[in-house]
Amino acid sequence: MKHRSLSDRAFWGAGTILVVAYALVPIGWIVSLSLKPTANVADHKFLPSGATFANYRTIFKDPQFPAALRNSLGIALIATVLAVALAMFAAYAIVRLDFPGKTAVLSGALAIAMFPQVAIIGPLFNMWRSLHLFDTWPGLIIPYMTFTLPLAIWTLSAFFREIPWDLDKAARVDGATPFQAFRRVIAPLAAPGVFTSAILVFIFAWNDFLFATSLTSTNRARTVPAAIAFFTGASQFDFPTGQIAAASVVVTVPIILMVLIFQRRIVAGLTSGAVKG
Amino acid sequence: MTDVRRRRPHARRVVGATVAAGLLALPACGGGSSGGVPTINWYAKEEAGGSMSDAAKACTASAHGRYRIKQVPLPTTTDEQREQLVRRLAAKDSSIDLLNMDVIWTAEFANAGWITRWPTARAEQVTKGKFPNVVDSARFKNQLYAAPLNGNTQLLWYRSDLVTTPPKTWDEMISQAEQLAREGKPHRIQVQGQRFEGLVVWFTSLLASAGGTVLSPDGTKVALPAGPTRRALAVMRRMSRSVAADPGLSTSQEDQGRQGWETGESAFMVNYGFVWPSASKNNPELAKKMRWAPYPTVDPGRPSKATIGGFNIGVGAYSKKRELAFDAATCLSSKENQLGFAAKSGLLPVTTSLYDDPKVTEATSDAVDAAGKPTQVKSFPYAKAIREALATAVLRPKTPYYNDVSLAITRTLHPTRDINPDKDVKRLRDAITKALKGEGLL
Amino acid sequence: MTTTVPAPAAAGHAAAVSTSKPKVRRRARSERARAERRLGWMLCAPAVTVMLLVTAYPIGYAIYLSLHRYDLRFPTETTFIGLRNYGAVLGNRLWWQDLTSTLTITAISVVIELLLGFLLAYVMHRAIFGRGLVRSATLVPYGIITVVAAFAWRFAFDPATGFINGMLHTQRAWFTQQWSSYLVIVLTEVWKTTPFMSLLLLAGFTLVPDDVVKAARVDGATATQRLRKIIIPLMKPAILVAVLFRTLDAFRIFDAVFVQTRGAQGTETVSILGYNTMVSRLNLGLGSAVSVLIFACVLIISFVFVKGFGANLSQQRGEG
Repeated sequence: MKHRSLSDRAFWGAGTILVVAYALVPIGWIVSLSLKPTANVADHKFLPSGATFANYRTIFKDPQFPAALRNSLGIALIATVLAVALAMFAAYAIVRLDFPGKTAVLSGALAIAMFPQVAIIGPLFNMWRSLHLFDTWPGLIIPYMTFTLPLAIWTLSAFFREIPWDLDKAARVDGATPFQAFRRVIAPLAAPGVFTSAILVFIFAWNDFLFATSLTSTNRARTVPAAIAFFTGASQFDFPTGQIAAASVVVTVPIILMVLIFQRRIVAGLTSGAVKG
Repeated sequence: MTDVRRRRPHARRVVGATVAAGLLALPACGGGSSGGVPTINWYAKEEAGGSMSDAAKACTASAHGRYRIKQVPLPTTTDEQREQLVRRLAAKDSSIDLLNMDVIWTAEFANAGWITRWPTARAEQVTKGKFPNVVDSARFKNQLYAAPLNGNTQLLWYRSDLVTTPPKTWDEMISQAEQLAREGKPHRIQVQGQRFEGLVVWFTSLLASAGGTVLSPDGTKVALPAGPTRRALAVMRRMSRSVAADPGLSTSQEDQGRQGWETGESAFMVNYGFVWPSASKNNPELAKKMRWAPYPTVDPGRPSKATIGGFNIGVGAYSKKRELAFDAATCLSSKENQLGFAAKSGLLPVTTSLYDDPKVTEATSDAVDAAGKPTQVKSFPYAKAIREALATAVLRPKTPYYNDVSLAITRTLHPTRDINPDKDVKRLRDAITKALKGEGLL
Repeated sequence: MTTTVPAPAAAGHAAAVSTSKPKVRRRARSERARAERRLGWMLCAPAVTVMLLVTAYPIGYAIYLSLHRYDLRFPTETTFIGLRNYGAVLGNRLWWQDLTSTLTITAISVVIELLLGFLLAYVMHRAIFGRGLVRSATLVPYGIITVVAAFAWRFAFDPATGFINGMLHTQRAWFTQQWSSYLVIVLTEVWKTTPFMSLLLLAGFTLVPDDVVKAARVDGATATQRLRKIIIPLMKPAILVAVLFRTLDAFRIFDAVFVQTRGAQGTETVSILGYNTMVSRLNLGLGSAVSVLIFACVLIISFVFVKGFGANLSQQRGEG
């Protein structure tokens, strides 16, 4: 560790505090709002003067929020498993095998990562309604899987490049087929990368709003972001501020925990391959 | 990344757990059924007090096992409800047996073939004794497509401590409010200026009060007579630029109006009846000074015409249980259930005679007295005013393109402070002409 | 692609056969290459198929729909109308207004994000203590659902419920004017996505060797000079790619605008316009014309970055 002067430390310390505050102010605010009793919602204060869990009780008593939570978890998890599985095969092939068209796969994936998703919601809606996929789990899993594949392929390729491939070669010399080599040697080595891309894919699927509003309409497949945006108030003209805040907190806490526990991996995933070829 | 052995079981466990969690969650997407009794799905927003699900229960009970009504919840605002429903209907969803429809959707839904026409005998049964103009909201091309469920119009609310005689016209109201402002008293007027359906309600009411209509009687062409349209627009402009306008007017919906009223800064408010029980609960001092009057008019010589709001109940065209659905809709829109909607959720009936029923006139709701102790107030002290208003109230334009027409109106007139009555008559005509052709971005 | 005959022989097996060695070896090599090629395609096939089916096919379908009058509310009136939908979109003021506001939001947010992200990356790069803390804190906005972030900021600025007005001692109705609506939307975007930007830039900092910077310092270069002459040029590839990613991502902004203004006060973006036309109005023909035009805009932006600024994407990874 290099020697640093006191002022230097103070400077970077202040920077750290600023960054933490930056990240946490909106979170603190939404927690505070969710705890405010109805009469205090409009008190213009950052901190609640009293705390009540009434909003939390309300959202869990109503069928829509628990259903949305179930849908979000299920859809995001399945999409994650599928996307990572498909991406694993593709990334292995790209890193390890020589075949024409692999650059096309990579750049195609990149193009899809930048694809304006709104451009296909109309056609997708029309296709889904004739395929009876509208307002179903697969109806969301398919687009989520598609739009996270590029992320997963690129992240995994970056991780796979780090793997000591001599092990693979050794296995193949020992008589293993390329597929066996993949399954026995490379897959376990690749686990950290797989796990990292799974986290990133999950965050994407958990976050999506556009597909969720366009391709679902009831508790059957509606996920949390869409459910929150269309939350039902007590009466036709009533806006459920407190309940939206409470629901937001419920879906934010697991993400924050995940981010805190896996921060090293997420950073590695987001920056891996960003500089390497 | 060298420690292969330690990573391996870890990765397996993670993937395994992920798959397991996914599988665990899977059964949740299967639909439920209850042995033998056909289920009628009723797409309806739940109302405060649970009156919708209570009605579903009551009708299920009275069906004696012929059907069972399951209420499927919808979002709060009607724009969002429509969005959800049309997507399902366009997808030919057979699970929609019954749906609560805002009075403005009838033409669009009927024309697209999404809802079922009511046979004459059944139509007779569900329209008998109801306000003729409310029944008209459920008709398209002279056929009934829905059973009227509840009705509503806006009233003028004012503070008796600030206003001695309620104004008859908008101009009078704005002048009174501006006078109050000069005296340093609460003076704001709460009205809906957000770019949403409520803005169409405001415009339609003003236009009708000035003697105009948006569309020709057959609903295929623009009417918008120059004189009345300009008058209506001039009122909107004056209102929006007055000191009496709320600073948040251009984002104000009904509930923002209520909040603005309950802070005590307002002298007038144009709004629905839900503001009364709310004020009685949140600001009892203020509620004591709250009075109501008919919707303000435009020209002193011409009575005001409020706009009809409310819901009708339709039968989905792709339903596989239409006959049972008709039965269920008839039950849900019966007098008993209308009284339930009124008593529990403050939704006013559409059957004329119910306005004399003690269950409406004597209904009470929870409130708070000046000392903060729980008490009861009458739910509908203003019922008579609504009954009179509903009898003369007007419908918003009836056309399969209603949604586009509504967008054209709100897009052209929002923000209301920038309205230019001379130029905007033409802009409005152009926008609506385009909307009626299904052309153009909105 | 030298032979067309299927050859199942494995490499080891072929080597064991002793006749005409050179030919066999060549054949073995090409067969192994073929097997490898086939495996490569097989392994990529599922991912590629899914991506094509869910993006390329719908885009083709969108082009088809955009040439028709196709309104789900009027199912019987579907007809081919050529380019009329494009005429209707491009001839409408609303399209240009929405495009302008989308580009405005994009430009302002990306510039702010670049500056803030650079700073943040620098803090992460240099922070001595609490490095993990900074990193975790940075990731919080990245992980949060955009809709939730949009609601948090909307409620914060709301004149009835918000603390911002209380803090500033004003009674401003933030969502009633264009500039202040933009302000909240941009703030939400910046808050949510600066962390991502800073992580991409953080990776770029590793491109700058410490000893080069140190040597410059010894030579008497000031901090600004070091930044302008050494750090930024070395980081240019990383910066360009981060900016391109974020520009294209910001261009499709939907969630925050939908939650905060739903496009009122002139804040409507092209994504909202597409959504409104297709999903709310069910006018798939007209809406598809909007979609195709949005797609074209994205192509143009990418082209400008790649050809104009020389952004080299092949060294970079994708972000969904």
